[in-house]
Amino acid sequence: MQLSRPMCIAGHIVLLAICLSILFPMAIVLTTAFKPMNEIYAGGLLPQAPTLENFKRLFEKTAFGWYIWNSSGTTFLRVIGQLVIGVLAAYAFARFRFPYRDALFGLVLGAMMIPQVLTMLPIYIMMAQLGWFDTWWALIVPNLATPIAVFLLRQHMMSFPNELIDAAQMDGAGHWTTLWRVIVPNLGPALAALTIIIFIDSWNEYFWPLLVTESAQSRTIQIGLREFLQEDMNDYGALMAGIIVASLPAIAVFLFFQRRVMDTFVSSGLKG
Amino acid sequence: MNIVRGAAPVRAAPLQAAPITKRVRATALVPWLYLAPTLLLLGVFTYWPLLQTAYLSLIDWNLNPSQPAEFVGLENYGRVTGSTLFQAALLNTLIYIGASIPLKVLLPIPVAVFLWSMGQRGHLYRAILFMPTLISFVVVGIAFLWILNPIFGYAKVIFAELGLRFPNLLADPDAAIWVIIGISTWKVLGFNVLIYLAGLASINKEFIEAMRMDGAGDVTIFRRLIWPLLTPTLTFVAISTIIFTMQQVFTPIDLMTEGGPSNSTTNLFYMIYQYSFVTFDVGGGAAGTMILFGFLMIMAFVQFRVLDRRAQYQQ
Repeated sequence: MQLSRPMCIAGHIVLLAICLSILFPMAIVLTTAFKPMNEIYAGGLLPQAPTLENFKRLFEKTAFGWYIWNSSGTTFLRVIGQLVIGVLAAYAFARFRFPYRDALFGLVLGAMMIPQVLTMLPIYIMMAQLGWFDTWWALIVPNLATPIAVFLLRQHMMSFPNELIDAAQMDGAGHWTTLWRVIVPNLGPALAALTIIIFIDSWNEYFWPLLVTESAQSRTIQIGLREFLQEDMNDYGALMAGIIVASLPAIAVFLFFQRRVMDTFVSSGLKG
Repeated sequence: MNIVRGAAPVRAAPLQAAPITKRVRATALVPWLYLAPTLLLLGVFTYWPLLQTAYLSLIDWNLNPSQPAEFVGLENYGRVTGSTLFQAALLNTLIYIGASIPLKVLLPIPVAVFLWSMGQRGHLYRAILFMPTLISFVVVGIAFLWILNPIFGYAKVIFAELGLRFPNLLADPDAAIWVIIGISTWKVLGFNVLIYLAGLASINKEFIEAMRMDGAGDVTIFRRLIWPLLTPTLTFVAISTIIFTMQQVFTPIDLMTEGGPSNSTTNLFYMIYQYSFVTFDVGGGAAGTMILFGFLMIMAFVQFRVLDRRAQYQQ
């Protein structure tokens, strides 16, 4: 579609303004992290004498190594677990007929619209009874079911060509083999999109880890940053360094899968 | 839909009929095995806790296992709704939602339409807009704490160069809530633009060419074609914004203001958190949760009615 000229110019101006308001705070964080102490509070955008001091102090003052380990480990296990469990459920909804199928699918989708705040108290009590505080179990298990994954994967499986599945079953493949050998290898874009969604969700999670982690060794990066902010309110150099370390993995994962994801989102994925 | 007893692949016909009932029963089980993990997890960690919260709202308990819970009926509800904290939280929740509709639901629409009209050339804009979605609210909160720091923050330096005094926004009960709203908008705007782009992708551009030929201008095309076709997406964005705005502002509130100054930034979510995990008043927290649940249901229902009447066009 071609917009008229004044509309086009106005659009560019608005978008440039929005983009600048996004990039400017990021630039401040990025440059502050590399400034030595005496420059941090002096203003001026670019560091005069760039240094890695802040990163060093970050790792000395906090258990940041543990935070990275906990965030990476739980996120990795969550991505794998949530994808596998989502694929299984999506396959059942896409390729079988059974009683109450549509009602159950509605229940799964309905769970997407229930914010965590409505369910946290009983789950918290459950974790206490199981003795799961400060463990990876508490961070992983309550999050393993992923309605959005079931929804997206089911859609992609329903549009999968039946001839291929028939051919596989003619060759004697059962459901299990068909699913993992024929269907899953062809779900690339959808799985890439979900990997990003789950990764970001898990890596950036704040509220739940705040409730179930108490010892320094069990904290995730986000909660570790919060702790550091509260203990060392004015060491903004090290805090900005921490921000950068905390943001890099999600950005890296996104860039790695980016092309496929934008396409999946925009062409077939989330339609309201 | 015709429900078939027992399981059979939807389209692929079985190669041979299974005359033995045992075999039929075994295959009837198969889909349930695939579904079991998801259904079990959602049951244990979503639907059962919803019911249990209703029960917890009727007891008096302080999370201490050795302390017996005492049944007090509806007393918790009266105590929570009577508190000044609740009244402030409810009012602020309405402000958060009221401000979110123009900022997070409506503002992304023209941005998305413009990007859509640019096609592939808008790639860089899209990438930049999406960046805040990748980073966490903790990161955003700490970054803006630094920028808005009243003593050495960046905003202060810029204001000083313009000869102005920079106010301590987060300590001002009238301004703090708008800082939080601004930050959460900064964070989710790009994601909502992306969802609208997904909705726009299904609009056939030939319609637009046809309207163009008939001499329609940009405004007419938007009002008569794009807006109606976008309404289902709008409904989705509006309802999820209402439900999740409170969750989105929780982190900035917790990091930057802790609900203050004088309860001016707290909301129902943060109030529930304080009842449950700061003062360990389980009954109060659960009663607050049930009230929030009812509130969200009503808001979603109203939205749905208002917007659904307009969603008359189907692609």
